[in-house]
Amino acid sequence: MTTSFNDMRSATDLALSRRRFLQASGGLVVAFRLFGPQPAWAKDAARTSVASPPAGKLYAWLAVHPDNTATLFTGKVETGTGVQTALAQIAAEELDFPFDRLDVVMGTTSETVDQGPSYGSMTVRYAGPQIRNAAAAGRAALLNLASEHFKVSPNQLTAKEGTIVVLGSPGRTITYGKLVDGKRLEMEIGASGERFAMKVAPNAHPKDPSTYTIIGKPLPRKDIPGKILATFSYVQDVRVDGMLHGRVVRPYGVGATLQSVDETGLKSIPGFVQVVRRDNFLGVVAETEWAAIQAAAKLGSTLHPSGPDAGQAKWSNWNGLPKMDQIWDTVRETAEGRNISVASKGSAALAFGYTKRTLKATYKTPFQMHGSIGPSCAIADVKGDHATLWSGTQMPHEARRDMAKLLDIPLDNIELRWFEASGAYGRNGLEHAIADAAIMSQAVKRPVRVQWMRWDEHGWEPKGPPIVQDLRGAVDADGRVIAWQHHMWIPTISDTHLIAAALTGNPNATGETGTGGVPVITYAYTFENADVAVHDEGRVALLTAWLRSPAQFETTFAMESFIDELAAAAGKDPLAFRLAHLEDARAIAVLKAAAEAYGWEERPAGAKADRSGKPAHGRGIAWVNRDDSRVATIADITVDPGSGRIKVSRVVVAHDCGLVVNPDGLKNQIEGNIIQSLSRTLLEEVTFDSARVTSLDWQGYPILRFEDIPDSIEIVLVNNRPEYPSYGAGEPSTNPTAAVISNAIFDAVGVRLRQTPFRPERVKAAMSS
Amino acid sequence: MPSKISLNVNGADHAVEVEPDSMLLYALRDNLSLRGPKFGCGLAQCGACTVLLDGNAIRSCVTPVSAVGNSKVVTLEGLGTPEEPHPLQQAFIAEQAAQCGYCINGMIMAAKAFLDQHPHPSRDEIKQALNDNLCRCGTHMRIVRAVQRAAGSSKP
Ligand code: FES
Ligand code: FES
Repeated sequence: MTTSFNDMRSATDLALSRRRFLQASGGLVVAFRLFGPQPAWAKDAARTSVASPPAGKLYAWLAVHPDNTATLFTGKVETGTGVQTALAQIAAEELDFPFDRLDVVMGTTSETVDQGPSYGSMTVRYAGPQIRNAAAAGRAALLNLASEHFKVSPNQLTAKEGTIVVLGSPGRTITYGKLVDGKRLEMEIGASGERFAMKVAPNAHPKDPSTYTIIGKPLPRKDIPGKILATFSYVQDVRVDGMLHGRVVRPYGVGATLQSVDETGLKSIPGFVQVVRRDNFLGVVAETEWAAIQAAAKLGSTLHPSGPDAGQAKWSNWNGLPKMDQIWDTVRETAEGRNISVASKGSAALAFGYTKRTLKATYKTPFQMHGSIGPSCAIADVKGDHATLWSGTQMPHEARRDMAKLLDIPLDNIELRWFEASGAYGRNGLEHAIADAAIMSQAVKRPVRVQWMRWDEHGWEPKGPPIVQDLRGAVDADGRVIAWQHHMWIPTISDTHLIAAALTGNPNATGETGTGGVPVITYAYTFENADVAVHDEGRVALLTAWLRSPAQFETTFAMESFIDELAAAAGKDPLAFRLAHLEDARAIAVLKAAAEAYGWEERPAGAKADRSGKPAHGRGIAWVNRDDSRVATIADITVDPGSGRIKVSRVVVAHDCGLVVNPDGLKNQIEGNIIQSLSRTLLEEVTFDSARVTSLDWQGYPILRFEDIPDSIEIVLVNNRPEYPSYGAGEPSTNPTAAVISNAIFDAVGVRLRQTPFRPERVKAAMSS
Repeated sequence: MPSKISLNVNGADHAVEVEPDSMLLYALRDNLSLRGPKFGCGLAQCGACTVLLDGNAIRSCVTPVSAVGNSKVVTLEGLGTPEEPHPLQQAFIAEQAAQCGYCINGMIMAAKAFLDQHPHPSRDEIKQALNDNLCRCGTHMRIVRAVQRAAGSSKP
């Protein structure tokens, strides 16, 4: 590592780059908080490159400003989960810098290193160590600078809260800000590999976790005050000079083609600018949002158009979707032939042959949606072979690459400026809205802001796919599982093709179909004979993409409900039954911790099932290993047999994600996961007819409301200790919920529900059959 | 045709040039550059766009500008400032009651109108009052606690 002043001085000779301009002015923090994206730097004529900074340079991660504030730069983004605060805690810890004086710039591609998308509960787990090392290298670099400044050896120095002190000479101190003196941190810290696997500052010496003072504190989140005081800019709030408003007009049917567009009357809408049509891509652009909405409505963009020629845009009469109630047959057919073994032990087939007590069940889950409260939104300014994009995407660096391909523009001419969006919980329409905006901007040669209407979002955001699973189990006379078979049919959970690319006749311009390398199940039982397999990767009916804990929410539902079925068949307590078939110490620990907090008493599930017609109480338990975090959940519910309604009263969660960076942030996440997964369990199903999605608003696709939230969610943290790394927490606690509720319903009324959502009609029907 | 319409927003009169039948939400966001009220559904279903109209919580996404007349509009910006946050805003910050935060404007504005009428609500009454405001992040537990705290009834 070189840390001489020479390096830094030579840097000052360079033309002012945006980053350095900001540092010199100390204005970066202000710039990013301005309403609208035209801060001082945008007018910086010397700005030449929009390429991402080199990961091996300290300035790619860190800037120290003259007023002794600092900025952490990360390619990761905030999606409402609190990672901005968690990453700042990690950096502040290693830097010995006050958390309050450290700001975080996220996602903007010209400012940050590509650390991979912010998904899969992987941000703290993978980006955490990268930032930890960069910050540790930063601290060492600052100590080296101070050593030259004070002419003492670095080991005579110590750093505390942004100030370096010469040991034994209390008067000799200097702040980081004075030391750096407004210069860019040119030091080479080294980096190899890419994205999640990137190793940053391999020679850095991060602290011993047992000495942490900032990590592990429930510090208030950095983003929350602004969001509550209306001083925060979401991507939906960004406005650009000369910007027009665009709205999309999607095909009536998913695969319909555009027959004709009648523009009569559009010109009389005040502020209307033009229709943008490219093959089957249709949009309108106007001076005001209202004019764009009116024009789009005339062409057919309304909540419930009556048919493919309801508006002035006429679409072909396309009816290619499979039947909704047979979608699981389609899923099986699509995945036929592909068989990826997850676990294979002994011979399940043989064991089934000689065991009397065998059980079989099929579990089904529907298309579900992300359902962001704010619909997808983006701004694009495409000028010739340059483009500036504003987006809240969870994968800014990928989105930039995708747009380079779609627009056929050199990557280095594209900048994506990242602003947070409404929570997305996976890949919703945000990436697609960038493409929509870019196509319209290209056509009108002005910046265009596109915001999807509610029906665009509900209809066209990529969905979580429907999944069907067959399970079979055999229990011996002692109540031990001797054979287990679990086969899953899972359409692609990672289809990154862009809607606008398909509509403009270039469907494969960018994007892939597959699993994205994400595990869809973690099997951990110790059954003697086991056959667990996934049949996957096919495309079914509607565009799909990852939705919080993709497919594992569904596979955990089936696995952990069916375990309960076997326990009940064997007359065993569901907790004891699980423990008897597990060796995973962390799994056992969370199950026991949850049981203890709950006050679990041993008895077989359903032993007290009440079919008297009075409201019946039940308890359910389930657990998961999601990406190395372990979570066990127990809930108490009441089933009202008259209405079929399920009321969840008490939820207990034992959560092991290793060392917790911010316990309050974690609890916020767990509460959110529980409520959202309850919503998916009890209420959510995308509906469709032969042409299109029909659940196009919050009436068609209801989500959990205040009246249905639990009375309490109690959280126990397990293995929150410095010797454990920090695993992910954005998704794991979503997983057990559906099984917990299914198991609790069985416990309450002796009825087994194997298909989500458990809406009152379905519960009632199951009880009367 | 767009016409100049006078709106009283957060205590000041503003002349905005909009279509009279266009919705108040767009005037607030696009003409007056306010960020509190959000577009969520445009269908009066989610509450993200909630503002106060003469003290009542209304959905600005379905309220035509022409219907506002001389009524006083208050947005999240008008409730409190970073220097002097409203007690509800203080309570939401103290409870860390946000994840993405997109719904929070509606939660605070609906709670404000509700608490003005019911200063000492029970937990159930708060849940009822907010039942038509949607939150997808699942921040409900904290939102209820924040409203309880603001009402000075932090014990259920
Ligand atoms: S945006 Fe007005 S209620 Fe949803
Ligand atoms: S906090 Fe994200 S929608 Fe409520």
